[in-house]
Amino acid sequence: MSAGSAASEAPAVVQVERVNHHYGQGEARNQVLFGNSIEIGPGQLVIMTGPSGSGKTTLLSLIGGLRSVQEGSIRILDRNLTGLARQELVAVRRNLGFIFQAHNLFDSLSAYENIKMAMQLGDRPASAMREQGMAMLQRLGIGHRADYKPRSLSGGQRQRVAVARALVNRPKLVLADEPTASLDKESSNTVVNLLKELTVAEGCTVIMVTHDSRILDVADRIVNMVDGNIVSDVVLRDALFICEFLKTVELFNRLTPAEIANVAERMRRRRYAPGEFVIRQGEIGEEFFLVRSGTAAVTAEAPGEPERQIAVLGTGQVIGEMALFSGEPRNATVRAVEELETFYLSKKDFQEALQFSAGFKDQIRRSYFNRLEHPLHA
Amino acid sequence: MQLVERLATVRFQSAGASGKSWPVPLAWRNIVADKQRLLRSIAGIAFAVLLMMVELGFREGFIASMLVSIGQLDGDIMLVSATRYQFGREAPFSRRQLAQAHAVAGVASVRPLYAQRKASVWKNPQTLELVGVQIFGFDPDQPVFLIPEVTAKLDELRQPGTIMVDRRARSNFGDAGSGTQTELSRHAVRVIGTFRLGPDFFTDGNVIMSDRTFFTLFGNGSANAGDLPSPDVGVVKVLPGHRPSDVQRALRAALPTNVAVPTKAELMDQETRFALQVSPVGPIFNIGTLVGFAVGMLISYQILFSDLSDQLSQYATLKAMGYRNGYLIKVVLQQAVFYALLGYVPAWILCYFIFRVVGDLVLIPAGMSVGLSVISIALSLGMCIGSALIAVRRVIAADPAELF
Repeated sequence: MSAGSAASEAPAVVQVERVNHHYGQGEARNQVLFGNSIEIGPGQLVIMTGPSGSGKTTLLSLIGGLRSVQEGSIRILDRNLTGLARQELVAVRRNLGFIFQAHNLFDSLSAYENIKMAMQLGDRPASAMREQGMAMLQRLGIGHRADYKPRSLSGGQRQRVAVARALVNRPKLVLADEPTASLDKESSNTVVNLLKELTVAEGCTVIMVTHDSRILDVADRIVNMVDGNIVSDVVLRDALFICEFLKTVELFNRLTPAEIANVAERMRRRRYAPGEFVIRQGEIGEEFFLVRSGTAAVTAEAPGEPERQIAVLGTGQVIGEMALFSGEPRNATVRAVEELETFYLSKKDFQEALQFSAGFKDQIRRSYFNRLEHPLHA
Repeated sequence: MQLVERLATVRFQSAGASGKSWPVPLAWRNIVADKQRLLRSIAGIAFAVLLMMVELGFREGFIASMLVSIGQLDGDIMLVSATRYQFGREAPFSRRQLAQAHAVAGVASVRPLYAQRKASVWKNPQTLELVGVQIFGFDPDQPVFLIPEVTAKLDELRQPGTIMVDRRARSNFGDAGSGTQTELSRHAVRVIGTFRLGPDFFTDGNVIMSDRTFFTLFGNGSANAGDLPSPDVGVVKVLPGHRPSDVQRALRAALPTNVAVPTKAELMDQETRFALQVSPVGPIFNIGTLVGFAVGMLISYQILFSDLSDQLSQYATLKAMGYRNGYLIKVVLQQAVFYALLGYVPAWILCYFIFRVVGDLVLIPAGMSVGLSVISIALSLGMCIGSALIAVRRVIAADPAELF
């Protein structure tokens, strides 16, 4: 099962809904987040990218309970952060792991003591601290440096201590800001692999702001922000799936891989219960669908004739593209037969995506006329 | 998964593990992390503590020196002029009132004491330098002093022109043992013995003599036979079986209001109050202590503030992790207390030696008393904690949201 599908089945670890955020007051009031929504399930490693000032760190600090939610709502780990007082946010933060760009270790404390500062907030018995703290340091390859002060450690070792401090209480949600910025390749790999392992083995969710392209290949999901908006939110496995099948659809087969990826990025997931309508004959088409799993029945009725089933659709087949560029009403009805999971694309995104293709109008016309007698692609 | 296995092992091991684990002593670690900085900090705080200690010690010595002679008076209640404002100054009241006091029930004896410190000039027998001294005169038939050396020489004091001098007088008093002849207020006097009292802040030493010698020297020509001058103090002894407070009340009723009737303890309190409030000297020590305190607060604020500023992101990280402001305040206060104690110890030791050296030099009974030790440690703590409470605002303001 992919990390992506887990997102919609298990309760979300992070649920952000229509969050706005402002800095400053009065005249100087400046909006930095505009109605952002995002849902992140357990076991995902999410990378947030975007230019500086795009609001990604603000969103991260809101999710981490480091700032108070101003507008909209945020739930993390089954707690609603909206309207929580500072003191209550402190309690919520104890369940999270934070990794900052700077290691922020106390120079006066040894590596182990720095970790112990975190363990003191957890619920493990004091007698277990030494062993478990040491185990964590060893896992990060710095067990032999446990009693060293940060000053006598290398930059990579220090950041690994900071990571150990964030992870030692086994948080279900880890928030990291450029955790590898100051690390060499090897330290960077150690840290990222550990975070990845946590997501896979423990269902821990990691949200990481980074510009480090070396990390991208471990991500389950990449969220891109620009000017306070989430402009793309790609579940990588889903994106691969979408590209794979769109390539085989005649309508899209002239698009370049980049253009297909662009379409995939804009597709969102939607589920239908058995018997539920996906589209109805006669409606104006607003969306285009790709079946991810399950089956759907296509039926059509002509005046004075009984409804007849035209086809049954399964994984990888597309629904509803014709009505989107013809502007005509749906010429068939599609209904879920068994639990149906689809990716859908809005009319606007659909049309924008297809304009990339040079000969797209001809192509569409041809397709349109070809399919009139074969309205599978209603 | 490798990690899961490891965690499982760790958890099982920990279930059976035992052993103590104290919380990380963050405040102490912060203090001792940089030895040079620690030394500088301790030196700064010790300096301020020392300032306060010296001021307080001299203040204490100053008061003690004022009370030495009263302490040696053999009486329960003292009759003094109500207008008189300092012991040892001439402030006579009518001699008749001594007799009135004697008639009060419960009074065993009322003995006169004569004092002079204005017109009394002692000539240093070696350098012939003139020195201001405190003179006490009393009737050898009605001795008022508890000083054994004086009691032993009552007979010799009856001879006119004989005196006893203070062996703890300041050095400009000169060396005056038994048999020394010199001048006191232009009259020839002969030393027949010595005692130990010590100077105060106003005079360099004490001289004790009989009332007759006193009248000769300071009688202003009125010392005719039978015309005894007015006393400055009436030393009252209460009969056994009578409560001094009852006798005090009776005396107050019997005597006119120009005579005050304090007990010995009340007189000492009054003297102390005078020393601290009326005389210019007391406030100087208070101001000195205050300056020490203020300097100490500045120094300790500076130390704590830079400690905190250097680690602001670390403290902010603690907040992000879930530590509350209360914990951070506790850490800062602990640091302040450690600094106060670490500064106090060397200051105490240094002050101890300063008082020994200076006390010997100026003969002021300054020393590291328990009271002084307690007060100065309280001030040191107050100074460091006070500055910590100001400095801690910086940590409270530290915003973990700024870390991202």
